[in-house]
Amino acid sequence: MDPTPFIGLSAILFTIGCIGVLVRRNAIVIFMCVELMLNASNLALVTFARVHGNLDGQVAAFFVMVVAAAEVVVGLAIIMTIFRTRRSASVDDASLLKY
Amino acid sequence: MAGSSTTLQTAYFGSYVPLLAIIVVGVLLVFAMFGGNALLRPSHATPEKLLTYECGVDPVGEGWAQTHVRYYVYAYLYVVFAVDAVFLFPWATVFAGLGWVSVAEMGVFIGFIAVGLVYAWRKGVLTWT
Amino acid sequence: MTTLAVSPLLSESVGDFTKPSIEYFDLSPLLIIIGVALAGVIVEAFVPRRLRYVVQTLVAVVGTIAALVMTVFVALGLEPRGDNAGFGAIAAEGAIAVDGPTVFLWGTILVLTLISVFLFAERHLEGGVTAFAGQAAALPGTEAEREASTKGLEHTEVFPLMMFAVAGMLLFPASNDLITMFVALEILSLPLYLLCGLARRRRLLSQEAALKYFMLGAFSSGFFLYGIALVYGYAGSMNLGDIAEAVSGTIGADPLLLGGIGLLAVGLLFKVGAAPFHAWTPDVYQGAPTAVTAFMAACTKVAAFGALLRLFYVGFGAARWDWTPMIWVVAILTMATGCVLALTQSDIKRMLAYSSIAHAGFILTGFVGLNAVATPGTAELTSLQAVLFYLVTYGFMTIGAFAVVTVVRDSSGEATHLSRWSGLGKESPFVAGVFAFFLLGMAGIPLTSGFTGKWAVFTSAWQGGAWPLVVVAALLSAVAAFFYIRVIVLMYFSDPVGEGPTVVMPSVLTTIVIAVGFAATVALGVVPGPVLDLAAHAGQFVR
Repeated sequence: MDPTPFIGLSAILFTIGCIGVLVRRNAIVIFMCVELMLNASNLALVTFARVHGNLDGQVAAFFVMVVAAAEVVVGLAIIMTIFRTRRSASVDDASLLKY
Repeated sequence: MAGSSTTLQTAYFGSYVPLLAIIVVGVLLVFAMFGGNALLRPSHATPEKLLTYECGVDPVGEGWAQTHVRYYVYAYLYVVFAVDAVFLFPWATVFAGLGWVSVAEMGVFIGFIAVGLVYAWRKGVLTWT
Repeated sequence: MTTLAVSPLLSESVGDFTKPSIEYFDLSPLLIIIGVALAGVIVEAFVPRRLRYVVQTLVAVVGTIAALVMTVFVALGLEPRGDNAGFGAIAAEGAIAVDGPTVFLWGTILVLTLISVFLFAERHLEGGVTAFAGQAAALPGTEAEREASTKGLEHTEVFPLMMFAVAGMLLFPASNDLITMFVALEILSLPLYLLCGLARRRRLLSQEAALKYFMLGAFSSGFFLYGIALVYGYAGSMNLGDIAEAVSGTIGADPLLLGGIGLLAVGLLFKVGAAPFHAWTPDVYQGAPTAVTAFMAACTKVAAFGALLRLFYVGFGAARWDWTPMIWVVAILTMATGCVLALTQSDIKRMLAYSSIAHAGFILTGFVGLNAVATPGTAELTSLQAVLFYLVTYGFMTIGAFAVVTVVRDSSGEATHLSRWSGLGKESPFVAGVFAFFLLGMAGIPLTSGFTGKWAVFTSAWQGGAWPLVVVAALLSAVAAFFYIRVIVLMYFSDPVGEGPTVVMPSVLTTIVIAVGFAATVALGVVPGPVLDLAAHAGQFVR
């Protein structure tokens, strides 16, 4: 197995997630892009686990999934509170705090 | 510091010069492209052009569909149990050889999650009103 | 990628499963705090509402003290590793290192937590309720919110949330393995995101702070995780000791390793609030309830710097020539950003936030100086000891200063705008004096702990050969002193604007916090010896 395509794919997914966070304005979409970054990392982790022939990377992927789930719970709670208050999930509208 | 180590350091930092060059070129490229774009394009912004593009049709309503908040809480509880299962399966393949201590330790783990469930129950989340 | 050869059979390497052993005694402070957090959730579920506040506060205080006592026992029981390799052992199958620096950081975090609990529990200032939202789900400015506030509701969940965050903070600097470090990072961050959004007053600001903190925090932890994946791909192990071995066995630069170091650094530097990853700090510090700001400014920074030190000294120590230039740039940028932008602030909490960014820069100076071995019997300090000491001084000053901010109020709550602070010296010479002292401490005036802390990191950095950085740091300290003194001048030599500020007499809880912060700042400035000795005795990280 040549790991390069898998690592390449994970790097592309990570970059897409990263750019998404930077250019999108909707909090939910930004949040989905962050999840994409985490899952790109998972792909890299399991590929490297295969390359090195040990299970560390796969176990790590489990932990990352759990952490991502916890992050979803907390993140959606925060985004939902903001949305109910402002009727908008645009991060541009959240601009009371500056300078 | 001895003289030889200084030359070594100079040579070492010298190896970063290509990196620096790439950064400079990269930054310049961004400015050049955006600057060129801004200079060449006509700019006649109308409110319509700033609307979200939705297959050529005027966007209708908001991108948000209302769902009852209750589903969020159920999703949360689903997460609790999904997380539970992820760690139970690998353990289930080996616990027979480990004895009761490992069962007790797994009990502690499930206890952690149960605390969350107890909290949800006492806050009235589990009753469908 | 040529070095990556795929092993034929994964199952061969898995082999027989052996039962992991857990060192329950060594990990007891951490386990106690997790237990306290869970107990807090149970209390929230079963104890009647009117008793919850008292029970939660007691559980948190007693639990933190118990963890502190166990930390002392663990510290006394640390075994020397021989030939100057530090004290302690690797626990939990290589996942957690319980060594001198770990125990020192545990002690620091727990003491700071203890006084933060008092700040959280303060009820006098808001007229009988805590400073946290009565009902976080009620929308600001609605009937539901007014009803919650007339009923005197309060969220006592803040105590278990805080304890979960503390559990993450204890685990973070102790983690000896990358995935443990990532999990600890999230355990410490997630409760803090929620706590930031729970202010009773100025709820829109508070919610916005929570959103910004969460978004940027999740973004940075994505970088951290990809860094873990790359370093794992490079070293074939998550364990810091194995990574160190792989790094020292490498000749030349490996793109996987360099990329991994860079991405891991982004995640950690975000948490310590170093430029250019500092943008969240002022917004979050301003918007969060002041008690939470005090807690996270002090404890998060201690925990994150502990993790940064362990990761870079233990894991990437052999690759230091690759990461020192990067940290040099970050340190200078951080100090400059913190000091210069603090000059332009008009809000006291924002100013303190920029000041904490500047402090992160000073700590990075000590970190990058990398004076690895001190001559025994002299006053020389290793960079590790200098940074540990600085973190203690910084923690107490910061909590003290934010505690003072909570008592200066007007009709709309805390008077955080700087113009409201003018003439405070006439209104309340005592409070203004204490605050002025904290500011002088942060500026690093002799006879305060800020001076001894700065002296420690600067000398260790100088001895480590980073003298240009020390010169820059000293110059920027002078700039920083200017904006601290500006506030002092404002308090003492300006006339009050309008009605002027009022100082609300807090309950004994906040008074204790201010007194402890003040006492620590004086004591560490006048007789820093004992704590410096303690930091020196902490020795080095074990691997």
